[in-house]
Amino acid sequence: MSAETPPTSQPLVSVDGLEKYFWENDSVLDRLFGDEPVAVRAVDGLTFDIHEGETLGLVGESGCGKSTAGETLLRLQEPTDGRVEFDGDNVYDLEGSDLTEFRRDAQVVFQDPFSSLDPRMTIGDIVQQPLDIHDVGPTDERRQRVRDLFERVGLSVDQLDRYPHEFSGGQRQRIGIARALALEPEFLVLDEPTSALDVSVQAQVLNLLADLQDEFDLTYLLISHNLSVIRHICDRVAVMYLGEIVEIGPVEDIFEAPKHPYTEALLASVPRASTDERERDRQTLAGDVPSPRNPPSGCRFRTRCPMVIPPDDLEIDQEDYRAIMNLRERIERRDISLETVGGDEEFEFTDGSIPPADVDAFVDALRERVLDRELPARHAELVDGALAELASTDWDAAGTQLREVYASVCERDRPDLGEDGHPVACHLYADNECETLENVR
Amino acid sequence: MTEELLRINGLSTRFFTEQGQVNAVDNFDLRIDRGDVFGIVGESGSGKSVTARSIVDLIESPGEITDGEIWYNEPDLADAVREDRPEAVDGTFVDLRRISPERRRSLRGTSFSMIFQDPESSFNPSLTVGEQIAEAVEVQRRASANPRSTRARTRSEEYSLGSFVLSSFLPSKRYVTEASRERAIELLELVGIPDPVERADEHPHEYSGGMLQRAMIAQALAGEPDVLVADEPTTALDVTIQAQVLDLLDELQSETGMTILLITHNLGVIARMCDRVGVMYAGEIVERGTLEDVFDDHVHPYTEGLLGSIPDIEGEAGRLQPIDGNVPSLLDHEMGDRCHFADRCPNAMEDCLEHPPEYDAEGSNDHAVRCVLAAQEYDERRAIPDGYFDETRPAGDKHVDPEDADEGPTVDEPQRPLEEPGGESP
Repeated sequence: MSAETPPTSQPLVSVDGLEKYFWENDSVLDRLFGDEPVAVRAVDGLTFDIHEGETLGLVGESGCGKSTAGETLLRLQEPTDGRVEFDGDNVYDLEGSDLTEFRRDAQVVFQDPFSSLDPRMTIGDIVQQPLDIHDVGPTDERRQRVRDLFERVGLSVDQLDRYPHEFSGGQRQRIGIARALALEPEFLVLDEPTSALDVSVQAQVLNLLADLQDEFDLTYLLISHNLSVIRHICDRVAVMYLGEIVEIGPVEDIFEAPKHPYTEALLASVPRASTDERERDRQTLAGDVPSPRNPPSGCRFRTRCPMVIPPDDLEIDQEDYRAIMNLRERIERRDISLETVGGDEEFEFTDGSIPPADVDAFVDALRERVLDRELPARHAELVDGALAELASTDWDAAGTQLREVYASVCERDRPDLGEDGHPVACHLYADNECETLENVR
Repeated sequence: MTEELLRINGLSTRFFTEQGQVNAVDNFDLRIDRGDVFGIVGESGSGKSVTARSIVDLIESPGEITDGEIWYNEPDLADAVREDRPEAVDGTFVDLRRISPERRRSLRGTSFSMIFQDPESSFNPSLTVGEQIAEAVEVQRRASANPRSTRARTRSEEYSLGSFVLSSFLPSKRYVTEASRERAIELLELVGIPDPVERADEHPHEYSGGMLQRAMIAQALAGEPDVLVADEPTTALDVTIQAQVLDLLDELQSETGMTILLITHNLGVIARMCDRVGVMYAGEIVERGTLEDVFDDHVHPYTEGLLGSIPDIEGEAGRLQPIDGNVPSLLDHEMGDRCHFADRCPNAMEDCLEHPPEYDAEGSNDHAVRCVLAAQEYDERRAIPDGYFDETRPAGDKHVDPEDADEGPTVDEPQRPLEEPGGESP
């Protein structure tokens, strides 16, 4: 919104290594039966700063942990690890009046305007409630403040005594914004503020948010999956994937010159509302987001990344490499049903293996099924060797054979987010990988 | 070569609710050519889903299709119908509103098929995906084995009472044959599900959202339909998955040459998929034409506002140009006989107080607009004064979504006397 570059002073919010895990199988009964708790790593090590007066966008697909990050940052959830500094104080150490003050200074607008307003309170009471709780001024003053707020967000004052159900989605979202502004906060977390709204109404709310920011010097953290909205109102953007930030930088850089392959794919996937859309060259990502219960080692995007980096000493076409990595992935997850290989003339497994005479035919049938491209002879041989291990259901051996040759730097090391103005967590941009980068490009 | 496939005249679908009559779709005209991808775009509550459901005849009480003709071009059907209902046939066209309900039902799946917005709630969670798709195949197979019989598809031996009783003792009893199952696997493969053989035996909860949407497309394709009605097929999906599903629909369309009626609120999806577009507002199409007509040479201020409301992902971050106000009420007694957009329109004139007919507009032959601006220039002297509509509309927004308005199905409720609409001076 404000075009000027973010000030270099002390950041208003400083997040360092924020983690939030949710635990499954963690009840007393589970412990009695000896089940190990399983961590769902919703937010896994976020580090970023938000400067005063700027809008930071947090963008990602559903399930990447962006909403959890927003809630944990406001201490609506207790973090698993990490610290968040607001105006120099660690938010998780605050107590008593300090905490109350933080609650006044940092507010949130929720996604769903239908469930975030109490249906049994009039909207006047809803907006006045924060003032009552924090005991701001005498009653007359509070009422006047509510009226001012209503006017400011574009609602009519004579609707104060109505109930939320009498309003449309856009109007309810305005009520939610008025409530968040009641205590004159410095910092607002906007959690998908327009996702539930129609486009024409979304535009009204976005314009309102922009005006309010200018008027009250607000700092925003905007959480959204909608890239156009992010582009429109953010100064800086952090792109999240599976609980991690993969890239963070000024909005222009992210949208004009994305570095991380995930950001590129995300941007390419958005259909543009223009007549040139059909001719636009676009590359779509294959596959689904992996589960945060058991995220991939190293770079979390490597299971879908079209640019996954082959080992230095290997000469291989990028697409062939991607296909082999997909196959490896499935072998390591044991996600191939061997019993049904070959269709009608299935192979007989006795004691977990098939007769040696059938192995070649089995490998052919299996390759047909799991690989949809012709590999160069050298790689085809290696892959066939691994598939032959599956004829005796030896998953580990098959996995090991492929890993020895094809292990990528992307799975060994977790890439770090750099330090410069546009950091990106990708091995393609690590300094010591410059040669690899040239090989790939 | 284009051949008209669907010709809809004056379609009206109303919901009779306690608050009054809701005109979800009002005097709706539409023409779709064979092999086209036609997009209907509009905001929530504009009647686009009800339109889709009306075409497939899936309107349930308290809703009712009260008027209109749906002409469907299918020579075989025309021959079959001509004997008993000659009035429902016009050349190779058949009016689907005038054929028997049994025959109408027999068209579902084979001629018209539908995919819904939310794949998670559209599948039965207790059956495997393969079984559910095979079931759809089975129904079509039995129908085509016995094309003359439009009834009794479900009255064959497999669905007898004895079989039903038996199934409660033998839960493993399947209603689908091996052939149907194989076809189901083929369909899953066609829509790009990896390992269709194993995936067919999994339950819906084991699928991700995008995969389930693919499975639903497979199910819709079981009867090789002429027209695929896709109601917000990607709204519940993430952008990367949305791109996959749109690519798939595009591929299937060019392979099979089927006609797709795509309903969405996302103008980007429209631009990506459609040849022709209709913009819906308050139950009618306000502007239609080719993609270029609507996106580049639009006339209607609503189309303009809709396009101006989208933040541009590529361009400069200028201020958005939203449309003032909210989606209008569709209650009959609140609608009035004027241009329904007049109260939000920046260019409303006195002429807008009468309901505008459809005007031809510049651009392709198909470009038509329901707005007086197509016939005359905007004249400030004739503009409607600010605040003119404030009196005639309730202050709180009483926008009723027809989907939600299913309480109290008082179908026989007499129509309330019309309040005098905004024709008078306030």
